[in-house]
Parts: sequence; structure tokens; C-alpha cells
Amino acid sequence: MIPIGAAPAPPPIVALDRVSRTYAMDGVRVEALRDVSLAVAPGEFVAIIGPSGSGKSTMMNIIGCLDRPSAGAYRLAGMPVAELSDDGLARLRSRTIGFVFQSYNLLPRTTALENVATPLLYQGVGRRERTKRATAALERLGLGDRLHHEPNQLSGGQQQRVAVARAIVTDPALILADEPTGNLDTASGRDVLAVLRELHSTGRTIVLITHNAEVATAATRQVHIRDGQLTDGWMAA
Amino acid sequence: MNLLELLRLAVSRLRTSRLRAALTMLGVVIGVASVVALVGVGQGTTSNITSRLASLGTNLLTISPTGGSTAKPLTLEDAAAVATIDGVAAVAPELQTSGTVAVGTQNETTSIVGTNAAYADVRAYDVWQGSFLTDPTVDSGLRVAVLGATTASNLNLDASAIGSTISINGLPFRVIGILQPKGGSGFNNPDDEVLVPLAAVSKYFVGGDTVRTIGVSVASGDRMTEVTNAITALLRSRHELAATATADFSVFNQTQLLDAASSISTTLTLLLGGIASISLVVGGIGIMNIMLVSVRERTREIGIRKAVGARGRDILAQFLIEALTLSLLGGVIGIVIGLGVSALIGQLAGWGFQFNPTTVAAAVLFSLAVGVVFGVWPARQAARLDPINALRYE
Ligand SMILES: Nc1ncnc2c1ncn2[C@@H]1O[C@H](COP(=O)(O)OP(=O)(O)OP(=O)(O)O)[C@@H](O)[C@H]1O
Ligand SMILES: [Mg+2]
Repeated sequence: MIPIGAAPAPPPIVALDRVSRTYAMDGVRVEALRDVSLAVAPGEFVAIIGPSGSGKSTMMNIIGCLDRPSAGAYRLAGMPVAELSDDGLARLRSRTIGFVFQSYNLLPRTTALENVATPLLYQGVGRRERTKRATAALERLGLGDRLHHEPNQLSGGQQQRVAVARAIVTDPALILADEPTGNLDTASGRDVLAVLRELHSTGRTIVLITHNAEVATAATRQVHIRDGQLTDGWMAA
Repeated sequence: MNLLELLRLAVSRLRTSRLRAALTMLGVVIGVASVVALVGVGQGTTSNITSRLASLGTNLLTISPTGGSTAKPLTLEDAAAVATIDGVAAVAPELQTSGTVAVGTQNETTSIVGTNAAYADVRAYDVWQGSFLTDPTVDSGLRVAVLGATTASNLNLDASAIGSTISINGLPFRVIGILQPKGGSGFNNPDDEVLVPLAAVSKYFVGGDTVRTIGVSVASGDRMTEVTNAITALLRSRHELAATATADFSVFNQTQLLDAASSISTTLTLLLGGIASISLVVGGIGIMNIMLVSVRERTREIGIRKAVGARGRDILAQFLIEALTLSLLGGVIGIVIGLGVSALIGQLAGWGFQFNPTTVAAAVLFSLAVGVVFGVWPARQAARLDPINALRYE
């Protein structure tokens, strides 16, 4: 681990430079993100806190290369995202990022095991290895007895944990979690946060999105967002 | 992603919606089955015609009178004159009548053909038992008979019947031979006839020295037209026809007719196959329709897959393999049904069943092509979906 404050500082894994995202709907323009600049160093655990509708998910989509900025520049792991092709983005996502979506986004009519194994499928991992790693990830989230359940046979909290398992199964450098505890009771919420902290302690970079100030205390750094703008200006890179 | 993984995905997907998969396949099943069945039936017909063609006799010309008040009949002298034409290999005059053949209590009405020894060559008959008519027996008009295979079996006669006596229209004839079957059926069965010396027919049954037809075997296939012209010229002069008068006979090339029939049958096969393949195209459109619906329904799934690392081509391959699985499975089922149907029809029509690997291979390729052609577009639609929009899709 590189000690904090040592020079030279490692290049940021996430570097947003005056990024804006504007949605145009029927002539009405919604500025979901306005001039957001943020740098996340490798190994950081950053919480993005803001009220509903403040642009948190929009920001996560851009960081996760699912969406592109309307203005500004974004570099992921040093790569200028704007210059990458769709396939290049897919490869970057597959190698670098694990997502936990606010709305889980599990594949319907597909077992928990297969859901968790899907990112590995697109990395070209063999079937046996996939099963092994997906099982391990699910067990780590306390779902060892739900491997063959389909999403509609799981509770909301269990689905969320499957989503977390899917995010960590590829052992990605960057984990993006959008309200990963939103549907969990205090105990299992704490378990999920513990998993994230553990991943952080093994050198993963975590970006946690939440509206809950208490959940945010799990992170080593907090960034506040309101109306599409970061409010703690001194945090900007 | 390798093919095996893709197939596994496709099969597990199709298994979750079996009824839909079955109905989608049905179009291709019907299309392929009708192509295979119709082509099979067509090929059966063609090969049936071809085998008849071979049994007709090689390079056969048939001369027959066309009638008319001033017409002169064909005579034995005409036949003898034709035999002298250069390029004619053999000539068999025929005088045909219908008669009742009786052996003991059995009796059969069949056609009695008076002819000569050349008949076997001209009409391509082989002797199974005994011997054929010989020149001396024909010249002396002996009451001997050679039985066609069908006639012999209708009368319960076998090899032991050679030398025995049968009665034709009440007159006793000695059986000297039984012919090999040519294989034919129903009306105009070439195996249902009794051959006797021509003189016997004209003397006992018909009267006069006219003949019904004259069969001519030409020495080689490429001289058919030349010999036809020579026969026409010869008979016109023998019948003392004016240059402008229409002929009172015709020279008929049966091979040509059957050639034409066979080419018509081939054309018909192609036509039927073509019409049937339209239903295959309709089946393909059915697949495309369902795949497009499927892409819409599964927009969110596509978004999720892309978010967790699928590239456009992974999605393309997934949907394409799904379409191909449908079309190929439909194709295989269709081939089985189509072969069954053509076997059944072949059985009923009496030409049997011919398994044609080319047709099967073509049908498999065709259904694969249907899957590709009609699966590519929906699959491309799926592959091009923007992940974030796909994830938001309700
Ligand atoms: N596809 C879209 N089209 C138009 N407007 C959008 C779209 N997506 C988001 N917005 C708008 O952008 C703003 C930010 O939305 P976003 O989803 O980022 O909020 P959020 O901070 O994640 O809220 P929550 O905590 O409720 O999930 C909202 O005002 C929303 O209405
Ligand atoms: Mg959100």
C-alpha cells in the first residue's frame, strides 16, 4: 500500500473533470449533473451522499461507463472514456468495475448462481471455475443456501445481496454500489458494509452511494451532492 | 464466449418458453417438411419415368396408321421395306387384339400381340423361362405363345408351364416362354400380354395381312431423326401419296415423349419445391417476428448483460444462436416429417422410397440460412442497444 500523502501521489482511478449531464425531455432540459469534478485515488472508499434526485445515480452511471457525459472529461484508470468504442467500454467495465444497482437488476428467470456467474461468463472464465467463484461470492454474503433460487423466489434484501455478490465476483478494482443497503435491515446492512470494508482493506476502490449519513460513515471520505453539484468544493480535484 | 456457452444459454432460454418456441418453430417445420416431401415425390416421379424410359426399348420408333377414308393400312410388306432402310437395326410388326386366355378353370382377358422374333429386341423384353418366338415358328405361323410376366402369374403359370397348352379364344396354343417382368402397373401394363406369331393372329383372330403398328429399333440414338425421315419418305412413296397430301401414318418417337415428360416432371418438382420454400420464408419471418418481440421484452436483460461486461457481439451471438437453434430444430423436425410423408406417398404410388442425402443436406442448410437471415436483424437490434437506456427500459 502506498502511504497517504507520499509523493508522487498515485494517478486517480476515477477522474471527473467538470462533468455535466443534461437530459433533454420535450424541450425541458434537466441538468442532472453540473460541472462535477472528482478524483478518487486507488484504494479509496468514497461515499457520495445526497438527497433523492440530486444526481447520485446519474453520477454512478457515468463513473461506471454506462453513460457518457454531456460535457467535461472523464478518465477511468487513466483511460479517456470519450475516446473508447462501445466494445472498448464493455471490456473496461468487465475488467475494472463491479456494479451494485439501486434496483438490483438481476436477470429474471435465472438462478442466483447464474446471475452471479454472468460477469465471469463475459470474461471467458470456464464453467466450473465460474460456478466455484460464484458460489464463494454468494456464500460470502450469506446466501450459500439460496444458490438455485431465482430472483422472484428471493426477498428484496436477498436480491440485493445477490447483486453485491455479482459485483464482487470478478474481484474488480472499482466497486460502484448504489444504495446497497437500501433494502436491508440493520443487521444485514451492516454485513454488506462489512463486506465492502473488507474489500477496501484488500486494496479495492469503493464508491458507495447513499442518502444515509450513518451508512456513509463506513467510508474513509465523504462527498456531498445536491442538485447535481458537489457541495464540498474543496474535495474537487 | 464460445459456441457451447451460447447454445446452453439459448436452450435454457427456449426451455423457459416452450410453447412459444414450439409455435415459432412450427413455421419452419411446415416449410421444410413440405419442401422435402414435394421434392421427394417429384424425384420419385422422375425416376419412375426414367425407369419406364429404360424399359421401353432403346431407340424405339413406332409407326402407326392415322386412319382416314383413303388411308392405306400398314402391311407386312411395309414392315419388310422399312427393315431395308440404312440405320434400322430391327423391325417388329405388331398386330394386336384382345382375347381370352384360359388354362383349366382360370381365364384372363388380355391383349394378344402377333409379332415376330425381333419384338424382344425392339421392345426390350428378356425371356425368363423357355424361349422367345423364333423366325421359323413365326414364318410358319405355329400356334405357340410367349406369356408376359403378369399374365403368367394371373393364370398361376410358372416355369413348369413351358410346353403345356393354353387356349386363346378357344384355340389351343403351346407355351414356349415366359418373359421377365419390366415392372409396370395398371393400364397399359407392359407385362400383361401374350405374344404369338403374327401370322397366327391374322389367320385365326383378325384376318387380312395388315398390321396395327410397326416397332422399329434404330441402330443408334443420334440417327433417330434421320431414320424417321427415311421411313416417312419410304412409306409415303409406298402408299403413293401426293407431295401435298397428309400422311396416313405417323412415326412416333416414344423416347422423346418420355424425355419430355421427365423434363416436365423435373420442372414441376422445382416449381413445387419453390412454392413450398415460400412457406419456409414465411416460417423465417415468424422467427424474426418472435425474436424482435423477444428483444423488446428482454431489453432490460440486455442492459444488465452489457453492464456486467457483455460486448455488442456477445449479445448479437446470443440472439443469433437462439434464432438458429429455433430454425435448425424446426428444420430437423421438418426433415423427419417430410421424409415420412414422401415415403408414404412413394409407397402408395408404387415407386418406393428413395432417401436422398442431398435433399436433406440442402434442407438443413436452408433452415440454417433462414435462421441467419431472419435472426440477424433482431440480434443486431439487441446488440446495438445502449446499456443505460436498456437498463431504464420498463
Ligand atoms: N433518463 C432521464 N431522463 C430525464 N431525466 C432524468 C433521467 N434520469 C434521471 N433524470 C433526472 O436527473 C435527476 C437526477 O436523477 P438521479 O437518478 O441521478 O437521482 P438520485 O440522486 O440517484 O436519486 P435517488 O436517491 O432517488 O435514487 C433527477 O431530477 C431525475 O429526474
Ligand atoms: Mg438513484
